[in-house]
Amino acid sequence: MPFTKINGKMVEAQVLPGQKVFSQRGAMLAYSGQVTFTPNMAGGQGGLMSMIGRRVANEDTPLMTVEGQGRVMFGHGGHNVHVIDLAGDTLYVEADRLLAFDGTLQQSTMFMGSQGGVMGMVRGQVTGQGLFTTQLSGQGSVAVMAHGGVIELPITPQQPVHVDPQAYVAHRGQVQNKLSTALGWRDMVGRGSGEAFQLELSGHGAVYVQASEEKL
Amino acid sequence: MSRIGTGAARAPRPIGRMRATLSPVAQFRLQGSKVLAVDMTGDAVKARNGSMVAYTGQMNFKKLSGGGEGLRGMVARRLTGEQMVVMEVKGQGTCYFAERATEVNLVRLNGEALFVEADNLLCTEATLHTGTSFTGLHGAASGNGLFTTKVEGHGWAAVMSDGPAIILRVSQGMPLRVDPGAYIAHTGNLNRNFRSGAGFSTFFGEGGGEAMQIEFVGDGLVYVQPSERVTVGGDV
Repeated sequence: MPFTKINGKMVEAQVLPGQKVFSQRGAMLAYSGQVTFTPNMAGGQGGLMSMIGRRVANEDTPLMTVEGQGRVMFGHGGHNVHVIDLAGDTLYVEADRLLAFDGTLQQSTMFMGSQGGVMGMVRGQVTGQGLFTTQLSGQGSVAVMAHGGVIELPITPQQPVHVDPQAYVAHRGQVQNKLSTALGWRDMVGRGSGEAFQLELSGHGAVYVQASEEKL
Repeated sequence: MSRIGTGAARAPRPIGRMRATLSPVAQFRLQGSKVLAVDMTGDAVKARNGSMVAYTGQMNFKKLSGGGEGLRGMVARRLTGEQMVVMEVKGQGTCYFAERATEVNLVRLNGEALFVEADNLLCTEATLHTGTSFTGLHGAASGNGLFTTKVEGHGWAAVMSDGPAIILRVSQGMPLRVDPGAYIAHTGNLNRNFRSGAGFSTFFGEGGGEAMQIEFVGDGLVYVQPSERVTVGGDV
């Protein structure tokens, strides 16, 4: 059941019996029909182990399960919402940017530090993104929040994309990411251009970038 | 006359191609309304420090000390407080700029000057000359400062506004008054005066919240945003 965008900041989801939608707790704005909202203690899918995994990884944004029959509108904090349709591929996104997603999608937590070794660890610290990220895969839609509009930039092997870590929202596909630094003596003496750290994304896929450098 | 891009604005094709053969020219275009995309082929643009959100290709970022207009410019900037911290972006590829999710407006300059608040200037082509000009005493009350940034030359400039900006024409005999907090930029041959709408009742705390305005007289265009900065004048 795909999400329909009502305006830049609200999405509507069609809920049918037997189909679940997960959403950030408290993100429901309005609904019609017979719909129930159940807080999801596990913070997502999977059993107890995945729940513990998420707690440890600090990717345990409170989620709720939406079930029943009707239409539900979601929005949160006046942030812009972007709907991403997945057709068998994988989306990597920070848990706190997730507004809602289809129950048909497989959710898991990924250790980002494993990409790029020591530099991956450093990246998490520098970018404030943490070492873990949420991974969604399968067939379905995801509604992602961002400050300001979202633009999608394609990543091809010939053309890697560099992103300001603060403006990074999500990425999909077979993408390697590493932190590239353009640190020079200027940064050391406080005369940097403000662009010392960048995420370099290469491979096959797309990256979503927001028109702002503010975190949610 | 300046061309104003609100949608997918681009330079007139034939001119772009002709100039491209002479020297590399950065192409400015809007990706949505909040992101500025600049296609570069080895040339440079000046942008607000830290406003890059993404790029493809090879880019170098260098902070320009004091504005890049030599020692005099640096001293002027220090004195005036109109210090827009600028970086020079140089390279090959496409660079994307955005700031705090504000709307971006493209302005094409063909030799005339654009006056803009330093806080609202996002990016300029390297061919444009930026300087600081004295605005008169109104700045102190409007919260805009006594000085404003002057952009001159031939090329594209990107101006930010909090919400989509409207462009108002001022002609002879048709002066325009603008709330200092909503003013962002102007082009053309305009005289700026500070006007006080404060009357008797303002002093008794019964003001309408519009005690101060900037009046523009002459010929030109004024860019106004649908939002007001916090100004001293806005409180009375």
